[in-house]
Amino acid sequence: MKPSQLARRSRFCRMVLAAVAIAAGAPAIADETSCSPFTPLIKGQEDLVYVWTLGVKGVGDGSDKLVTVDVNPKSKSYGKVIHKLSVGGRGEIHHVGLSDDRRFLWGGALDSNKIFIFDIGSNPAKPKLVKTITDFVEKTGFVGPHSFIAMPGRMLITPLSNKKDHGGETGIAVYNNKGEYVAHHAMPKEGGDGYGYDAGINPQKNVFLTSSFTGWNNYMMDLGKLVKDGEAMKRFGNTSVMWDMKTMKPIKVFQTPGAPLEVRWSWKSGENWAVTTTALTSKIWVYKQDAKGEWQVKDVGTIGDPAKIPLPVDISITADAKGMWINTFMDGTARYWDMSDPMRPKETYSKHIGSQVNMVSQSFDGKRVYFTSSLLGNWDKKGKDDEQFLKVFNWDGKDLKLAFEIDFYKEKLGRAHHMKFQARDLSTLKPLESAQAVLPLLAQSR
Amino acid sequence: MKFFRVAILAGLFALAACDRAAPVAVPAPLGLPAIPAPPDAPLLKARIELGRSLFMDRRLSHNNTLSCGMCHVPEQGFTSNELGTAIGLEGQTIRRNSPTIYNVAYVEQLFHDGREFSLENQAWGPLLAGNEMANPSIGYVVEKIKALPEYAGRFEAAFDGRGPDMMTIGLALAAYQRTLVSAGSRFDAWRYGGTAGALNAEEQAGFALFTGKAGCVACHHVGEKTALFADNRFHNTGIGYANSMDLPRRHRVQLAPGKFVEIEDKALDAFEKRQPDVGRYEVTLDPADSWAYRTPSLRNVALTAPYMHDGSLATLGDVIEFYDRGGIDNPHKDPLLKPLGLSVAGKKSLVAFLGTLTGDNVPRLVAEARAAQPGEALPAKDPASTYKRAY
Repeated sequence: MKPSQLARRSRFCRMVLAAVAIAAGAPAIADETSCSPFTPLIKGQEDLVYVWTLGVKGVGDGSDKLVTVDVNPKSKSYGKVIHKLSVGGRGEIHHVGLSDDRRFLWGGALDSNKIFIFDIGSNPAKPKLVKTITDFVEKTGFVGPHSFIAMPGRMLITPLSNKKDHGGETGIAVYNNKGEYVAHHAMPKEGGDGYGYDAGINPQKNVFLTSSFTGWNNYMMDLGKLVKDGEAMKRFGNTSVMWDMKTMKPIKVFQTPGAPLEVRWSWKSGENWAVTTTALTSKIWVYKQDAKGEWQVKDVGTIGDPAKIPLPVDISITADAKGMWINTFMDGTARYWDMSDPMRPKETYSKHIGSQVNMVSQSFDGKRVYFTSSLLGNWDKKGKDDEQFLKVFNWDGKDLKLAFEIDFYKEKLGRAHHMKFQARDLSTLKPLESAQAVLPLLAQSR
Repeated sequence: MKFFRVAILAGLFALAACDRAAPVAVPAPLGLPAIPAPPDAPLLKARIELGRSLFMDRRLSHNNTLSCGMCHVPEQGFTSNELGTAIGLEGQTIRRNSPTIYNVAYVEQLFHDGREFSLENQAWGPLLAGNEMANPSIGYVVEKIKALPEYAGRFEAAFDGRGPDMMTIGLALAAYQRTLVSAGSRFDAWRYGGTAGALNAEEQAGFALFTGKAGCVACHHVGEKTALFADNRFHNTGIGYANSMDLPRRHRVQLAPGKFVEIEDKALDAFEKRQPDVGRYEVTLDPADSWAYRTPSLRNVALTAPYMHDGSLATLGDVIEFYDRGGIDNPHKDPLLKPLGLSVAGKKSLVAFLGTLTGDNVPRLVAEARAAQPGEALPAKDPASTYKRAY
């Protein structure tokens, strides 16, 4: 490591340490529901939702794009697409993540390995592409930048694959807020499989948790072909890893067989448990510290009929951590689980959303729930079952009632994938107390 | 003094250039015949190294994500152990298993269906196939390579001043692949090297079955002085027929290590259907060639799972079980295939024997491939934007 890199890393570690120290005494915090705890939150009515949309050949301009939808019921353009920004090409775009000040949105492409940084602060209703990172593979050796989780002055990126063989062995990478490479680390293979997917941060415990999916070979393949390929089906992640956030070193590897995907933390004071679901084995897993303070994982529930491979995909935990939405892609169903006792969760409600459903995002108060359809370009269903939509529901705790929907094929947009909310007036946002406390340090990092 | 330094440096460069321009003697390892090479395409060090760089360079695909070495992975027997059938650009389906390129110099008819006969020509197949590396044209590839600084001067040095073009790119890739010869295995030491103890009793029993009751040698030839373990011909085992005829089947799907479910084809109706594949017939249009595929060499076979043209058999044990059953009946099935009635011990000895065919130079060939280290930086402009006719 070069001296300049060491210095940067040292400063970064000091900042994280400070953030941890401050956060340790912070009261309960929550997200909406998958943001980094370092990102300011929209606790009231969200104004906009950005939908990271895969281009489809023959649909509109065929290009990947960021679609902006007005979602404030008081607005004249409520329920309408108000802006679309094509980035060119079809690179298997997938997830987006907000920067630590919520003024920038990072979006990754699992095939082209490009990372797009949009300015969503200057005019939130008209995002502007300000930088395209093209050195991700060159700098890290990894392929498929997936999740983007804001840290103070930095962006933690979890890729899915590697340039050597397009298998599942990968790592984690860190870029600074200018979009410059900082560092990368390999996923642990000792006791693990070296695979990666998502990450969730808990600054109060100075940890982050990573999950594991599969490599380029599999996520780029038609899902029907994949299921029939015996060798390919052996190449899914079966582990998850708890990391020390300060040192970026693994603490413990967990066996969570069957492709653990999205990671969410409960921020309820004194709880500090995390949850994930495994796509192939259809299980819910909860991570919690034991009496000695050691992190343990437990299989706490079964989603649908695992023999039919319902394929649980995205999850969304409520701000008070008492409930969680789980989407099962194959049957297009959203399922609400009562998580009041996370070690004994129960499914209490389900609704068929469409022929396929992948992502789910809920507002901070849990009253609005957003669904999109696309899983991966080549995993989506074909023919009449290839519905592509954004559907927004109101949730009264008993039933989902459709507020509006947008047909992404009819609108010539493409495959609707990941969503992030935004407010038109960022000055009204109140950052997390922990994040607020480290703002001077954040400023120092730029 | 300065003059002398310059002269010495110039001399060293000239020596190095001579070294790279001199034909390379790639001796045939124990167990293989002399390496066939066109008389007008000598194996020069500069060409081999250039071909190796091209082979490992992801930028040779249209969107810069796939190299030859991504489907023919050096550490995975120069095939892919992780896929039954390959996928290409943007995850497009490729119908067949990536064949190993170990000993490809000896293959007379390339691809599973034998549609090409020279490595120089074959190189352009994957580069241009829309579902593989998917480059839009020959010129696009040529211009892209010209724009990559890592190749500046290397073609000219390897080809008497001739730069990148359709011929020199094919020649360079062929030169490298022709050097991927691998033998000198324990079997070779035993059979051709006079080392009687190189194979144990079980392995020798396996060889006896291989050349005897099991009849494997009828297609996987073993000679008196060398052995290709192939016949350079095409055979119908029935696997292609079963795929084409959609014979009803259930799939045993691994969800996690040790955890499986069985699902029927119809459960996957919402996804891509299997693409038609009639094998050698697609080249000759002779119905007698329907569902016939080229016999692969068995050298390094322990490294090249999964097996068969569609990668449908996971282990060598599965392959032997398949042939013990006599393949899958169909109107064009090769008459050589019939139920064998092998014992459990016999099948085990066959697997043991096949494990003795791993070449002694595999680690070196893998290390050399990884040492190629082609760059990642992309051309500043798209190659198509720099098209310029040279006359």
